[in-house]
Order: sequence, then structure tokens, then C-alpha cells
Amino acid sequence: MALRLKQIRRAREGSPWTGLWAVVAKEMADHLTSVRMRILEVLIALTAFGTVYAAILRLRSTVGQDPFLFLRLFTTEREPLPAFVGFLGFLVPLVAIALGFDAINGEFNRRTISRVLAQPIYRDALLFGKFLAGFFTLALVLTTIWLLVMGLGLLTLGVPPRGEEVMRSLWFLVATIFYGGIWLALALLFSIVFRQPASAALASIAVWLFFTAFWGMIADVLAQVLRPVRFGFPQEVLAQAQLGLALTRLSPNALYSEITLALLHPTVRALGLLLPIQLQGAILGTPLPLRQSLLLIWPQLTGLIAATILLFALGYVLFQRQEIRA
Amino acid sequence: MRRVWAIILLATLLLLTQTQVLAQEGQPESSSPDLVIFTRYPARVAELGRTVTFNLTLRNNSSSPQVVRLEVENVPEGWTATFRGGGDVIQAVYVEPDNHATVSLRLEPPEDVAAGTYRFVVVGRGEGVKAEFPIELTYKEKLPPKLKMEVRLPTLKGTPNTTFRYDVTLKNEGDEDMTVNLVAEAPKGFLVKFKSIGKEVTSLPLKANSSEHIDVEVELFTEVPAGTYPITVRAEGGEAQASLTLTAEVTGRPRLSVTAPDGRLSGQAYAGRESSLKVIVQNNGTAPALNVELSASEPSGWSVEFEPSKITEIPPGKQVEVTAKIRPAEKAVAGDYIVTIRAKPEGGASESADFRITVLTSTLWGVVGVGIIAVAVGVVALAVIRFGRR
Repeated sequence: MALRLKQIRRAREGSPWTGLWAVVAKEMADHLTSVRMRILEVLIALTAFGTVYAAILRLRSTVGQDPFLFLRLFTTEREPLPAFVGFLGFLVPLVAIALGFDAINGEFNRRTISRVLAQPIYRDALLFGKFLAGFFTLALVLTTIWLLVMGLGLLTLGVPPRGEEVMRSLWFLVATIFYGGIWLALALLFSIVFRQPASAALASIAVWLFFTAFWGMIADVLAQVLRPVRFGFPQEVLAQAQLGLALTRLSPNALYSEITLALLHPTVRALGLLLPIQLQGAILGTPLPLRQSLLLIWPQLTGLIAATILLFALGYVLFQRQEIRA
Repeated sequence: MRRVWAIILLATLLLLTQTQVLAQEGQPESSSPDLVIFTRYPARVAELGRTVTFNLTLRNNSSSPQVVRLEVENVPEGWTATFRGGGDVIQAVYVEPDNHATVSLRLEPPEDVAAGTYRFVVVGRGEGVKAEFPIELTYKEKLPPKLKMEVRLPTLKGTPNTTFRYDVTLKNEGDEDMTVNLVAEAPKGFLVKFKSIGKEVTSLPLKANSSEHIDVEVELFTEVPAGTYPITVRAEGGEAQASLTLTAEVTGRPRLSVTAPDGRLSGQAYAGRESSLKVIVQNNGTAPALNVELSASEPSGWSVEFEPSKITEIPPGKQVEVTAKIRPAEKAVAGDYIVTIRAKPEGGASESADFRITVLTSTLWGVVGVGIIAVAVGVVALAVIRFGRR
């Protein structure tokens, strides 16, 4: 044991954080000035403005007394536009992938990586810095949009949001950032694996498409195959539905939509299957306290965060083992 | 002066001619009398105290006109008899020969006239002639207005919830129709209603010599202590009155109510964990509640126990605090639920209250989630330590 510790100590000298913040600052500057980001920012801002404005028009005409008026800004849809959260569900992965798909292989292609690493900066710091810069950029964009939505709401609805509403929408913001984080980590991973940025981007988008469009169907089929309903017992039906739900939850999209559902609709009590027996005596339509809503989505939220970190860890390991030659 | 003389002369002339006529007629004295007084209906019956008018006819059978002075004989004390003609009170009538005149006689009795038959004689005196005609007036005793009230069951017994219904018969024994007002005097807290043919009434018309059924309904709108309460029912129709005393025997009754110490019917409980809720059982009734059993209807999978589960006695106006131990189901979904808590006294109606229980889920899984993130961070840290290069 002591020997192994010694070996590890020999392998590692100096802090991996040296130069981290320099990388973060440079990368963020690159991101925020790049044309790609401009386009995506304008796209998101326009969707935010459009959907929220439509939601406001609709709220003004239909909602009389809603204790969570500000949350409705995010979730109210008006034909033909979907609700703001619906747009976020596929725009955030797009932005995250755009931020990450050429992080490492771009450096290789520009032949700048050896120059960067010639500086007193560890590889760890470079990768951390790239990831954190993307993450912070994403957080910055999403926070700006959150502020835009809240500001629009204040201007047009004419009522201040309640503390509970602000807290709920802030948690929603956090969840959205980590939802972006998972796609950022994935794009970063692919940018390490593939030498061509185009392949990395395609691979990321393929994964995203897979989870967005196909995983739900595949999970259903898998559940039907693995837990077939042979005799029509309720237990069998239940087991199949539960397996299907568990498989669906492997998709970050499903986790994110469950999180938004519980956070933005306080009356949602459970996300999984509910037996009628569990609803006996329940007063429906009463909002849950924020703490309880958070407890409800805690597995989803921690799952998102943990998946982000693990994907990053995988990318880190792969990157550290890569041969870097100019 | 000359005029006076002329009148005197005329009067003497007239007197002279009259004496001549009388002298001429006095001799033949035929079969029919010269002056006749009669009325078509000489004997009449009238209501007591009413003024009666007879229409008299005077016939002059003589060949000379007559001035007939009229009077009534045998007029009892206090009566007033007046002759009327042409709208005035008169004393004499001028009757032309072989002709007749009509006069009315008004007989006005004194106020305290007694029933019976009164006889009068109308006398007419002319110049040398006299006619008499007896008339008869009978006053009949009138029945005074009289009301009678009867009830079949004057004493009823019941709880404060009962409607006491008395079957009362109201009878008009007088000879006149009347409108009867119904009045009730009841102790405080009693509401008395009169119902006739299912409708609530306060007065009703009652024909002479007829009877009417009335339902007297007595309700209690406040909680009155047990006891015997008299209710006086009066019927008033003009001068007639009748009253009746009904009795309501009110027995005591426990009345429970279930609430919480501060009136807030809500509580919190963690899923799968027992939490206690204070419940107050109050007796607002008038009799002690014995052997009060507590029960609850809770969602399935929950358990509700009471400490104590049975209260031996709650005196009127007192309250007892009970602890309800509520344990939501292990897999209860967070949110608000309704738990109905019931208290049932022996032989009485149960009372219930709905408690709103907010189920919270345990934060244990939250800790697990944080643990997962910690593991993920640990993996990164290990990777950094293991694969970190210089």
C-alpha cells in the first residue's frame, strides 16, 4: 500500500490547477467573441423573447388567479409556438455541443496544442479550463436569458414574483445549466476521441438525436421484450411500465423534462407511476412546497450533475493518455 | 196686523167646516171604522239591540180629510219610538178621505235591552176618531262569539333536534265568522310555527260553528338545557279568546365537535414516520357524552392511532385532548392528504373533522444523491491523481 502511494506521488508533481484560470479566461473570450456563439445567442434570445411574449399574451387573456404566474411564463404555450421550456430542451444541447465539439481537436488541427502545453500549464488545467470556460459561457447565456424572461414578466405582468417563484425558477436555471453541461462534456469527449471536428460534431448530434427521438421508443420496446406481459396480471403490466420508465430515464432529455415538470408545475406530486391507491385521500391541485419538489427531482438533478462529471472524467482519462506531438 | 186677523179667520173657518163634517159623519157610523192603522208584519223578530223600523199604513175611510196625531203606548223605559215621514220626524199625518198615508215607526231599544218580546200599541187620534194597532217585537238572545282550542297530546318529549308537533283543533262556537290570530308564548330559544294544511299561518278565517286543524310546530334553534318547557298558544278573534298550554319535554343530548387546539386542522408528517397531532373533542351538548370512540378514515397504507382511543365521559361544555398518531404509508407521495377523524359517543351521532396532512418525504434520498455526485467528483480526483502528468 505504501509502495503504491509512493508511486502515485512520484507520478504527480505540482498542482494541476496552475494556469487554469488563464485558460478559462482566454477560452471564454474566444467563445464570447466567436461568430458561432453570436448566432446561437441571437437564436436563443429570439426564441426566448418570442415564446415568452406569446405566453404573456395568453396569460393576460386566460389566467385569472394563479399563485405561480411567473412560472407560467416558462411553460405556457401558444399555438403554433411551443413553450419556452420546450425550446430550451433542444436549443441548450445545440449550444453546448457548439461550445465543445472542437475544443481539443481544433487545437490539434491548428497545431497550437503543443504550443499551449509548452507553457507552464498542465494538461489537466487545459482540459479543466476548456470545460469550465464552456460551462461558464453556457451559464452566462442561460442566466442572461433567465433575466430577460423575468424582466419581461415584470414589465408586462405588472406583479412582482414571489420568493417561491424566484427560487423555483432559479433551480430551473441550475438544472438547465447542468443539462447543457452534460452535452458539453459529451462534445468535449468526442472532441478528444475524434481528430476531425466535423466527426465530433456529428457524433455529438447523433447522440443527441438518438436520445431525443429514438430512445423513448427503444426503451418501450426493450421493456416489452425484457418484461413481457404474459398473463395480463397487473403486476406484470406494472413491472413493464416501471422498467420502461427506468430505461427512459437513462436519457438526459427525459431527466431534464421531468425536472422542469416538477419545478415549474408545483402541483406535480410524483414523476413515476402512481397507483390509484397512493392517491387515495390526496387533495389534488395543491402545490408542493419547494423542498418537496426538490426532493422529488433530486435523483434526476444529481444524476445530471454526476453524469456531467463522469463524462468529463472519461474525457480527462482519454486526454491524459493521448499522445501529443506537434 | 191684518194678516194675523186673516189667519185667525181662516182657522176658525176651518174649524167650523170640520165640526160640520164630523157632525155629518158621526151619524151614519158604518161597519168599517173611519180610521185604520196597520202594518203588513205586525210581529217581528230581530237581533238583540238592533233598531227596528215598522212601516205603518193609515187609511181614512171617512169622507172628510183627517189630521191624525200618532203616538205609541206601552213604550218601556229607555226605548225611543219615533215616527218618520218624508225624511223627518213627525207627530201627525194628514190623510185625505178614502185614501191612505204611510209612516214609518222606528223603535230604538236601550243598549242593555234584554231578550224577550216587547209589545207596543200604536195609537192614532184624529178629529173624533181613534185607531189602535198592536205591534210586537221579539229580541232573540244571540250566541256570543266563542273560541275553543283543543289538543290531542299536550305533552311531547324529544331531543333538541326534534320538531315537537302538536295537533291542535280550533273551534268557533259563536254564531259569527271571524278571523283568528294565532299567538304563541314560548321560552327563549324556541321557535313556534302554526301550520294549516301544510302552510305556515299567523291568522286564519274561521266560519261560525266550524273547526279547523292546526299543527303547532315547535323547534329549538339553540341548545337549551334538558327540562320541561311550557308553551302557551293563544287564539284571538275579536273579543273571543282561547288559550292552551302545551308542554315540551326536552331531553339532553351530547353534541360533539372535533377540532384542533388552535383551530388549525392541518399537520405535517413524514412518509413512513409516525407523527402526533393534537385533536380536541368538545362536548357542546346538554348531556354528557359517554364512551366516545375515536376513529379515522385515512388513505390506505396509513395508520392512525389515538391515545386514548376511547374517552369514558365528556361532561357538557368540557373538552378532552387526544393525541392522534399518524403514520403515512411508507411510499406515500408528497403532498396534501385528507384524514377524517371521527368521534362517536355511545348511542349518538358521530362528528367528524377533516384534517389536512402534508406528507413530506424523507431527505435520505437527497443525501444519497449528494453521495453520487461526491463519488463522481472522487472519480475525477482519482483520475487526476492517477493520470496526471507533469
